[in-house]
Amino acid sequence: MKSGILILALLGIFQIQNAQKLVSKNTHVWFYSHTPMEDIEAHNRQAVSILDPATGELGFNLLVKSFEFKIALMQEHFNENYMESDKYPKAAFKGKITNNAAVDYKKDGVYPAEVTGDLTIHNVTKSITTQGTIEVKGAAVTARAEFIVKPSDYGIAIPAVVENKIAKEVKVTVDGTYASN
Amino acid sequence: MKGKLKYLPAILVVVLIVAFFIWRYAFRESGMNVSSEKPDYALTSSGLLQSFEADENAANALYLDKILLVSGTVESVSSDSLGISVYLKEGDAVAGVICSFEKESIDTVLIRTGIQVNVKGICTGYLMDVVLNKCSLETEAK
Repeated sequence: MKSGILILALLGIFQIQNAQKLVSKNTHVWFYSHTPMEDIEAHNRQAVSILDPATGELGFNLLVKSFEFKIALMQEHFNENYMESDKYPKAAFKGKITNNAAVDYKKDGVYPAEVTGDLTIHNVTKSITTQGTIEVKGAAVTARAEFIVKPSDYGIAIPAVVENKIAKEVKVTVDGTYASN
Repeated sequence: MKGKLKYLPAILVVVLIVAFFIWRYAFRESGMNVSSEKPDYALTSSGLLQSFEADENAANALYLDKILLVSGTVESVSSDSLGISVYLKEGDAVAGVICSFEKESIDTVLIRTGIQVNVKGICTGYLMDVVLNKCSLETEAK
């Protein structure tokens, strides 16, 4: 009898823990670099994201090598010369939805979200703040945001030869749909 | 003068050929050759996962950017506007191997939970699971 209650209690804790965090293993992160000379975009659809609806804590993790370019040589330069992905294989964001109280994860709708936290690219960490949205549709929660990354802020040197082809400010878009785990 | 001109057509041809190959090299599309290329390593999904769990740096050194042929059990299949993702996981394991396929490159009716598949793809690293990119299905599912 006692052990039965214990098991029930444990199951309860387990369920609460399960309900706590939302996980997305196929978050789509892509960036767009626009210059009059050339437009470049690359997509990564294997980023992992964890969102805690209770606290608004939000994390993203991605593999730099998972970014796909149309042209193979661009992808090689991106990995070898700019991101040095053998040395720094991951990029990450760890932060918080600061207005999380205004998001009702139980009611369908699109909620504006203010996000602030630390972005780590190329082994350099900077704090960023951006606006995004949290969309609740039944059991599915989707987080979307856009922000600007300056390669120079993250110690990424662009050689003079291609200076005019790579934007000083690169637009990064994040789009992840979570399944409760 | 005449002696030099004699070689001009030949030099032009060589220059054109070189230019053609440089152009081909610079603008080749990425990931087009994975399905036709021989894998660098053939292993099971659980074996691959174990090597990353045991020592991520060593596994990175061994497998990053390499073409792997991975055999495993399909845990789930999901597809969206960007492509298809097949998740290989064995039994009670907490992690597995995520394989990304191009849109409409495989028949998601045939690839269903529980079947054994052989997937070839480029290893891009390890987050919560091992990640394979630009995947192709090596043999038809039984």
